[in-house]
Amino acid sequence: MRLLLALASLRRNRARTLLAVLGVAIAAAMLLDMVMLSTGMRESFRQLLLSRGFQMRLTPRGTLPFDTEASIAGATAITDGLRARPEIDLVSPVLGASVHVLRGDSSITTFAVGVDPSAQGDYQLASGRDATAPNSFVANDDFLRATNAKIGDTLRIAAGFDPQLRTHSGERALVLAGRARFLYLAAGQLAIAIPLRTLQEMTGAAREDRVSLFMVRLRDPGRIPDVKRWMRSALPAMDVISTADAMARVDERLSYFRQLSAILGAVSLIVGFLLVTTLVTVSVNERVGEIVVMRAIGVSRAHVVQQIVLEGTAMSVTGALLGTGLGLVTARYLNAILSRFPGLPAAIDFFLFQPRAAWTAIGLLTACGVLAGLYPAWRAASLPLARTLREEAVA
Amino acid sequence: MVALLLALQLRTITIDQRLATDAHLRVGDTAVISATTGTDGDSVTIAAIVGRRADPSEIARSEYRVHLHLDQFQRLIGYGDRVDRFAVSTRGDAAADSAVRAINAAAFGFRAYRSHEIAVETSETFAVVSRFHRAIGVITIVASAVFLLCILLLKVDERRRDVAALRLLGISRRSVMLSVVLEAALVSVIGSGVGVGIGWVTSLAVNWHYQARYQTPLRFALVTGDIVLFAVSLSLVLGIVAGALAARRLVRTHPLVLLGR
Repeated sequence: MRLLLALASLRRNRARTLLAVLGVAIAAAMLLDMVMLSTGMRESFRQLLLSRGFQMRLTPRGTLPFDTEASIAGATAITDGLRARPEIDLVSPVLGASVHVLRGDSSITTFAVGVDPSAQGDYQLASGRDATAPNSFVANDDFLRATNAKIGDTLRIAAGFDPQLRTHSGERALVLAGRARFLYLAAGQLAIAIPLRTLQEMTGAAREDRVSLFMVRLRDPGRIPDVKRWMRSALPAMDVISTADAMARVDERLSYFRQLSAILGAVSLIVGFLLVTTLVTVSVNERVGEIVVMRAIGVSRAHVVQQIVLEGTAMSVTGALLGTGLGLVTARYLNAILSRFPGLPAAIDFFLFQPRAAWTAIGLLTACGVLAGLYPAWRAASLPLARTLREEAVA
Repeated sequence: MVALLLALQLRTITIDQRLATDAHLRVGDTAVISATTGTDGDSVTIAAIVGRRADPSEIARSEYRVHLHLDQFQRLIGYGDRVDRFAVSTRGDAAADSAVRAINAAAFGFRAYRSHEIAVETSETFAVVSRFHRAIGVITIVASAVFLLCILLLKVDERRRDVAALRLLGISRRSVMLSVVLEAALVSVIGSGVGVGIGWVTSLAVNWHYQARYQTPLRFALVTGDIVLFAVSLSLVLGIVAGALAARRLVRTHPLVLLGR
């Protein structure tokens, strides 16, 4: 009954109600986007880091993976030492380098990772075979498009280029064994994976027995603090980065987006709240006579309060539900813009949809709707009956 | 005495403010720099601490910056008599174009670029953020337009009794409509003026916060004449439209109906 009365009073001014619902919907869309932005990129990055189960990364001191050209010497001994630890399940040494695919007089530059194919965590094989043979490699779709290469083709690949002499060094004929999807690389980035030993030999003495980083998987993730402590004392020239450390660094670099989402989310909530409050207040002011008549014929104060609060809540809930759909559309659009960040892994989503985000946005706006209706409802319920009836009759 | 002589012989470097703060270094301090950790390096004297330039490409990078003498740096990293790039100053835009053409025609193993081409390339991150801001701006404008339209419709609708009284006194429909539209326009202009003031104060706070956060002289929020003009114009247009729509409905309704009789 109360809900029917509330809906009837909203229907009385359809244009006004529609505009208010539209306003709340846009506020809800913005709020949902901002909730998705504040939690999505973090969750997306965490999922990416843990996608192959590696919880720790070891990099040259003061650097992030592939942030600089710094490398770690004595890779074989370190790998053996790490694999000997009972807590460690898997160790993946990785060397990153730029290589050149030679095509007549020209060349195509691509990023190459040197990996141990049996322990790698950098790519997922999509078709063909893995690069287990010393003279084989796997490549991503962007590479295949740029070079028009097919599985089974042999390509001449060089690791070095002297721009003054225009000569290549470390040249090898490698067979394309398979197609792979690289997990940590930017969209559109050409990439190949070569057996580690092959890439080290191609890059010459400067990279002999060197790697860019180690990826480490523990048998028990609960042992991360202990293993980290041991690594820090045993390998002082390296930074030990756990998933939590990497998340903290990402948080620091992307703090701007979290602050922006907090500010815009708060503004959206305030706008939604003000809109509903204004509308319900005006609507109540217009119906003062009607409300006091209801009170005079015996309708309780609680009934009046509930009916008015329901009006605000109905507007907010309808707007929030519409806004959820609108928010998902705008989130896709905004995500497409931010995914063009140079160097950003293609798998990272700034606006990751999680049901919790949608429920948070709807819940916050519903709470706003309830709060927005409380003040006008209290004012309406507290009207002095006799005086208001007399004033309304005179008016 | 030996230390003094040693200090006189040391080469000098400059470091940026962030490194000076984090490593507690001051002008005149001696430091050791090497190409890789754990290897022998050169002792140097810190000659100056320099501020960071307003470079968008460096904004999210928390790296330190050190300037060394070229020959010392080449020796330290085993780079030989090589450089990564030359910066060339020319006399005017036309000279820059002809210099780029001449160098690229004769160059062997390197290429010349104009500074703005490099700037476009290196500020790609900032360009993405800028596109994101524009998209957010469009959504905000749509939201504020709906909000404004709603509020102004309500404001005009509240005047139904006044309008009825004016009409009963014999004031023409046109005059009543004009007065209502004028009132809505005035409310819009005053509101947008207050909004511009709030925006300006907010931009000061945003710049203060982010300049300190990223230790950069870059300005993050700018209130320009174009932005103010756009905000006030949009608000005025919406005010007039909302006022006209509501006023037209009011003047078309019989005054007694407006009074509820």
